[in-house]
Amino acid sequence: MAWRLYALELSRLEGTAGEALSGATAWEEGYPASFQPLEEPWEARRAHPKPWPEPLYFVDGRERVEAVLSDGRRLALLGCVAAGAVVYRQGSMRLLETRVRRVGVGLEETLRLGELVYEPLPLEGGAEPVSPLALQEGLGKARALLEEELSGELEGGLLVVDGPVRLRRRGPVLGYIKTHWARYLPEVREALLFTLKPGERTPMFKVRRKGQELASWYLRLPLPPEGVRPPESGLLRVETPLQGDFGALADLSLSLFPALASHPVKDSRAPQNLLPVGGLERELSRRMGRREVVARILARYQDSFSADLGGG
Amino acid sequence: MERIGVVLGRREATPLEFWVGVEGEGLLRLDDLVVVEGFHPKVGKVRYFGMVDLVAKAHEGESFDTDVFLAVEGKIPVSLAYVAHVSVTRIVPEEFFPPDPGSAVYLAREEDLELALYYDAMKNQRGSTKLPVGFLKSGEVAYLNLEFLNGVKGGHVNISGISGVAAKTSYATFLLKSLLESGVLEEAHQARVLLFNVKGEDLLFLDKPNLRLSEEARRDYQKLGLSPEPFRSVAFMAPPKKGEGGILPDVETRLEGVKAYHWDLVQFAQKGLLPFLFTDKGALTNLGFLVAHVTEKLRRLAEGQKGPHLLVADWPEGELPEDITFDDLGRVRLKSFADLVRYLEYKLLGPETKEGEGDRTWTARQARGTLEAFVRRLRSSVENVGHLVRGDRKGNPPDPLEGGEQVHVVDLAKLSPQAQMFVVGSLLSDLFAKKERGQYRGRVFVVLDELNKYAPRDEESPIKDVLLDIAERGRSLGVILIGAQQTASEVERRVVGNAAIRVVGRLDAAEAERPEYRYLPTSFRQRALILPQGMVILHQPEIPVPLLVRFPFPAWATKREEVLEDNSAEALRREFF
Repeated sequence: MAWRLYALELSRLEGTAGEALSGATAWEEGYPASFQPLEEPWEARRAHPKPWPEPLYFVDGRERVEAVLSDGRRLALLGCVAAGAVVYRQGSMRLLETRVRRVGVGLEETLRLGELVYEPLPLEGGAEPVSPLALQEGLGKARALLEEELSGELEGGLLVVDGPVRLRRRGPVLGYIKTHWARYLPEVREALLFTLKPGERTPMFKVRRKGQELASWYLRLPLPPEGVRPPESGLLRVETPLQGDFGALADLSLSLFPALASHPVKDSRAPQNLLPVGGLERELSRRMGRREVVARILARYQDSFSADLGGG
Repeated sequence: MERIGVVLGRREATPLEFWVGVEGEGLLRLDDLVVVEGFHPKVGKVRYFGMVDLVAKAHEGESFDTDVFLAVEGKIPVSLAYVAHVSVTRIVPEEFFPPDPGSAVYLAREEDLELALYYDAMKNQRGSTKLPVGFLKSGEVAYLNLEFLNGVKGGHVNISGISGVAAKTSYATFLLKSLLESGVLEEAHQARVLLFNVKGEDLLFLDKPNLRLSEEARRDYQKLGLSPEPFRSVAFMAPPKKGEGGILPDVETRLEGVKAYHWDLVQFAQKGLLPFLFTDKGALTNLGFLVAHVTEKLRRLAEGQKGPHLLVADWPEGELPEDITFDDLGRVRLKSFADLVRYLEYKLLGPETKEGEGDRTWTARQARGTLEAFVRRLRSSVENVGHLVRGDRKGNPPDPLEGGEQVHVVDLAKLSPQAQMFVVGSLLSDLFAKKERGQYRGRVFVVLDELNKYAPRDEESPIKDVLLDIAERGRSLGVILIGAQQTASEVERRVVGNAAIRVVGRLDAAEAERPEYRYLPTSFRQRALILPQGMVILHQPEIPVPLLVRFPFPAWATKREEVLEDNSAEALRREFF
């Protein structure tokens, strides 16, 4: 049974809903059933400016589908995941490390195509025909693993991760969520979100996810120029594990995030896409190699797919 | 070898130019020389030598100009890119394929530097022809191939640059110093130099040590293999002061050791110097013929005469001005240039008192208008050259090939443009004629500033022909022209075009864009606008890129204040007794 190159992009597959795949993760379990505030009263809060802790790490990752293979029954996905860290130390932001890995979701053996090496990442129930959605999820998991691996090696300081806090770390961690699919607040409390001014936050409340207890709060980023905006613009939800002095972190977040908010002129995802993370993302996509070049290599090697895989 | 970076892959690398990414703490500046090794299985190892002609730094990871503020505040990660563009000067062996991106780039030092600048090719059967001409940016000695200067493969030097930044004259004299003293020029003791001092009196102190010469400059000279001393064997000549019977040299700052030069009437006639008085002989077609004719008549007239005065037999008594006298043989004695002009007027136009006709053997059947134009021009030149061409004293014209001195400085600064032209033209044509006849074996270097005046591009000049002759045939005869001017674009193309070595000091922005400087790469043309004192861009035929050269501070004084006074007992004794 031989693999052959089926497509270079997932969205070209019939029957896949590109939108459903393109970003929303199913991590966040919606509330509002068990809303549990950690601070009272329920009103906007401000904090005095605080110096940033050093070192201050930012970790982010990217994933990219590079090809879809088919052997007639099953699908496999060749993709690339990357994770990187930048550190703020002594007044400058420096790129710390980037890791790039190519994975073959649904493959059982390593696939070598010229200089590209795809490590196998078997899916559960590998013998069954798999859906593109499951392949995409597999790739996402590979990226999460890489991010976790990278952040596990960062010592001391405060770690800021893009997205919810999934990893476990000894030091303090802040996760920030840019888009809000899930609702955490009961309707009466939600009203406060719309009255938040830049640099203000809501009181903390408790979030429980997969056995992890977290403190979370919303804060409003500055979004110049000020004007009429949709109510959720510039709104960031921040969370941190419910341990240590999470209250201080909440106050610190008011000094940290608004200062790092990006400008709408420069970033279409402003202001929530933080400046260092935006830079890191550009760097990561560079390290992943040009899509066109990868596609060309894949096309060149497509005849050798079956030979390399030994008719698995 | 010091590794400085790698060949960039993001930009194209070609056999003639490539980009280098500078790594880490590396420092790569304009004019630095680098070497890269390339390999191809079919050709083998190839080494590329090149010169950096552009360096740039940029933040990578910034997508907007204002991102720099974020980077400074430490809000976005950026990396500093430090790149340099290299123009290849040489490939060894000559296999023109590009180097691989990622190849290591090294700074060229010592042997590599010699290869990069073709120093290894600067030799002939008898030895090295590397003439030291200054320092490279890296502090190493820059050379040029003497064979392109002394006439073997090429000759002549052309120096351009605006005045006042000590480039033209200073560099020309430094070049002479190197030529005469470095020992690279064979039989340097036989070489003669004719220097025209056209501005001020700065060349009149060539034999005096410079007060302001620093220890560092002394070391510079030693590094070049030259002595930090002024020129040893120099003769200075200046025109006499105007006025009655003056034969004192017309100089102000230098009071001893300058001789006055002038021609006597017999020399003027015998050597045929008349045409050098006419700046516009092209204006009237027939005027040129008449000038040639009268010159020839004068030559015949002066045959056998010893001078200084010119004797003529056919000037009737009645019209004699008072100061003209008869000699024993009953001939009239012309005692000044003004007399000669009056005599010529009489010969061409007839007696002044009546509307007569001139002497037919002198007029060469020219129309009266032409004859009158000729006389008008001649009359107006009396004021300009009257003190240079005289009948009262034996002539003493400068002759660089005569006398014991090696360098002859001829001062022109105080002369009128017409007289300057006359002196330069007379000297050069005389010099060239002597070399043509093989009267002097050694090489003669002629330094002439303001070439645009003597060989203008669009106009006629009586000595343009002489200069063209020197430029085109001089190198085979051993007459080398070191010409200088502010703007090469205004000099006759054939004069500039014949110069093998081109030197550029600081240029005016508009001038730098003219086609005369196209041989300079863009980056050098831009830099020519900001060249500091003591720096020139030197271009020679063998090396495909120009070199930026620093030359040492003059070891000789360039004005009175710089003269290092010799107050030793011996000197004082000489002065007072």
